[in-house]
Amino acid sequence: MALLELSEIQAYLIKDYKEMGSSKYYLMQVKDATAAKRFIASVADNITHANAQINETCLNIGITSSGLIALGYNHEDNMHTFSREFREGMVSPHRQRLLGDFDSSDPSKWQWGGPANERVDLILMVFGKNDAIAENYFQHLKEKFEAGISVVHILDGKPLPNDREHFGFRDGISQPVIKGSGINAAGNNDDVNPGEFVLGYKNEYDVYPDAPLLKVPQGKPELLSDNPGGYEDNATGKAFKDIGRNGTYFVLRQLEQNVNGYWSFIKKQAMDEHGNTNNEEATKIAAKLMGRWPSGAPLVNHPDKDPGPGIDSDDNNFSYIKKDKDGEKCPFGSHIRRTNPRDHFEESPPGVSLKLTRRHRIMRRVRSYGEDFIGSAENHKPNGEVGLLFGCFNANISKQFEFIQYTWANSPKFKKLYDDPDPIIGVRECPAAGVKQNFTIPQKTVNKVIPNLQSFVTVKGGAYFFFPSVTALKFLGTI
Amino acid sequence: MIKQHPLTILSPVKKDKAETLDKRLNIIRENLQQGTETEFKKVSTLHYGRWVILNRESFRDEPSVPVGTRLIFSTNFDGDKDNHLTELVTQLTRYFDDIYDCCEGYPEEGARTIENRKNYLKKYSIKTSAFFNGAPGRSVQQIHQEKRLRDHIWNYISNNKWNGKTTAVEIHKAIRNEIDSKSEFEWAKQKAGVQGIKWLNITGYGLLLLVAIPLIIVGALYLFLFHELWNKKQTLTLSQLDDKKVNKLKEVEDLFPQNQFTQVAVLKPSFIRRLNFQIWMLRTRVLANNVFVHGKLLNIPTIHFARWVLFDNNRHVLFFSNFDGNWQQYLGDFIDQSGWGLTGIFSNTVNFPKTKFMITGGAYDEEHFLAWSRSTQVPTQVWYCPYPDLSIKNINNNTKIRNELYMDLNEEQAKIFLKRF
Repeated sequence: MALLELSEIQAYLIKDYKEMGSSKYYLMQVKDATAAKRFIASVADNITHANAQINETCLNIGITSSGLIALGYNHEDNMHTFSREFREGMVSPHRQRLLGDFDSSDPSKWQWGGPANERVDLILMVFGKNDAIAENYFQHLKEKFEAGISVVHILDGKPLPNDREHFGFRDGISQPVIKGSGINAAGNNDDVNPGEFVLGYKNEYDVYPDAPLLKVPQGKPELLSDNPGGYEDNATGKAFKDIGRNGTYFVLRQLEQNVNGYWSFIKKQAMDEHGNTNNEEATKIAAKLMGRWPSGAPLVNHPDKDPGPGIDSDDNNFSYIKKDKDGEKCPFGSHIRRTNPRDHFEESPPGVSLKLTRRHRIMRRVRSYGEDFIGSAENHKPNGEVGLLFGCFNANISKQFEFIQYTWANSPKFKKLYDDPDPIIGVRECPAAGVKQNFTIPQKTVNKVIPNLQSFVTVKGGAYFFFPSVTALKFLGTI
Repeated sequence: MIKQHPLTILSPVKKDKAETLDKRLNIIRENLQQGTETEFKKVSTLHYGRWVILNRESFRDEPSVPVGTRLIFSTNFDGDKDNHLTELVTQLTRYFDDIYDCCEGYPEEGARTIENRKNYLKKYSIKTSAFFNGAPGRSVQQIHQEKRLRDHIWNYISNNKWNGKTTAVEIHKAIRNEIDSKSEFEWAKQKAGVQGIKWLNITGYGLLLLVAIPLIIVGALYLFLFHELWNKKQTLTLSQLDDKKVNKLKEVEDLFPQNQFTQVAVLKPSFIRRLNFQIWMLRTRVLANNVFVHGKLLNIPTIHFARWVLFDNNRHVLFFSNFDGNWQQYLGDFIDQSGWGLTGIFSNTVNFPKTKFMITGGAYDEEHFLAWSRSTQVPTQVWYCPYPDLSIKNINNNTKIRNELYMDLNEEQAKIFLKRF
């Protein structure tokens, strides 16, 4: 197995920087290519790579396809080797159908990244132990980039309070680990081949992911290494240089969470005939939708009640077939069972399922924004807008992020279901006439159904970024 | 049990009418997408229908014989072919006249009759090499009926509190009483025929295969030494495909929970490759007719109908499929579940990813296989499905609901019945 070149890989792919109290994402636009390239070349050495000692701050950088072109990486043959999803960006009519960005989530209504917003070329991710440190660091960087780059939007994120997202559930428990990254996997199926996340390495199909190549030389190609996939110039027989190696793609979506709407809806489902709400029952229903209890404990192992924080909160070592083949503990339609089917992928036997599931993983990098608020059946009215800055890394956006969002979350036909989208992230706000949106809770005899699901997550912005290696950044500084 | 069949009609397009045809098909497509098209559903025997324009540009690789512009019409239909053709030309007269007015050999305006329209379709219809049906025996009418039955029971279950009744057997009986009381479900009392796996045929085929092992080994060795070794390594990846072409394909994808796939490939010119393709077609036919009868083609659980059609003197092959979910999932399933089958079949076509003994490489070479699939795909101008809101799993589950409803079930069986909702 190829060892990862950790000092080349931007560290945010490998580490979650949970110790950084402040995560500021600056969405920026190139104004002057020469000055912008100068900045990128100079900042490449300050990028936090996966071998770097982490102290008070971290810095990572991503580039959209418009950003590459704006910097001058504009030769059609070179750009065309980047993945189609990246080149097209998150907004296209077809992608809108795949991601389900309609109604209030329509890109035309986005705060950034949409057709009505200013073009986003770069994302500068500045992390600091606290806000002041991050802000300070940013001001220092700003002096260097001001001449060529302007900030169009700022996303002010922070780690999830107590690892809970705003609806109140422990988040980020299931996370793949890149083989060779020196981190131990928490779950039994979480060790994933590097090529699922890092370009230039073999993936779970044992092939190299589609990689961006330098087909037409620009800048100083000698900085880059040859592509490992054996792609060469037919005329000269020389291997193409690989601008993707040790790089990856980053998906960022700003998801507003309607915490009050969510819990009010859930509580209505838990009302008895006399109209009395039952918070315990409501929490149980919410857990069914999620597949885990608020504490994080999986329903497969704790079907009846939340064992409370600390007990199996980080349990990621469970599977479905043996303990819950019929979904009576953890419903088939629940968020976590859909987005990581583990040993129960379609109808494949467990061993095959585990293998197939590994081909559709993402490295989640999630921050919250708005008030530090953990919702519950008792307390669900945050002050102002709250939500997630949902981020994830993957080597193949179509096979990983988009597949999970469309095939597993949005499709109401998941497994043998009829009308059940993912209750958290797959519900359409205004479904077409006649389209039902249900959540089925399998029971011993008659299944319980929650009809007329509503959407409580709204997309407010989003983009696809290329996360170059440290060397590729230096190279981009030379074009 | 009514059998389902494939129909493929390949007609030459008049040289000066290609553009008009394209426009006319686009209008139908737009109407279908907007839900304003109402004619197709009058054809009671029609499951899926599509019109595809096939011209030189549709072929990624150099065709083996010269190809002009042709129009493909394909349906999956119930029962008798003659009856289906009659329905088509009587219910969709306007469409057929408009469309085939652009094609060679269609009866002239003013001289058109039901009979000569049908004769035209018969004349240009071509044979199917292998055909898969995800729900054998289910007619369009039955699929719609069983959906109504399932929906009715679903509503009945949801609207009932079930306080008094606790066992699954009691609930099953209550449901049956409810359906008994509704005259519109009278048909449900009769059990629907379901095709089982035909073990006898399979055993026979297996024995034949055993006898043929030496031949297969020699054949595989020969193919490896004299063909596979010399095949070029494929380097095309998805990112490099022509944007315009891919966008045209994506324009008509993911509009419904189901999608279509039309593909055209050129067979490798050598005799042994063409023979090998025929052998794989035979294999696929045997498996599709005898084993893949429960909604899974080569283990893929999302395909309603699929077919392979050899044409142009067996030098070119068309592949059609109607499936649940989207392209990435579908092609991924092909690699994950049945890479061996696809590799066996399509390794006999030009510029398929390099294989070894028809087992490794090929479809398992994920990046290049996906690029091959996308680049040999042809845009489908018109695509019709009468039940876009049903997955093939739903359809098969609905039949089980119907059949189990009037069976006397024990508690365990009744629980399984209830889990179907």
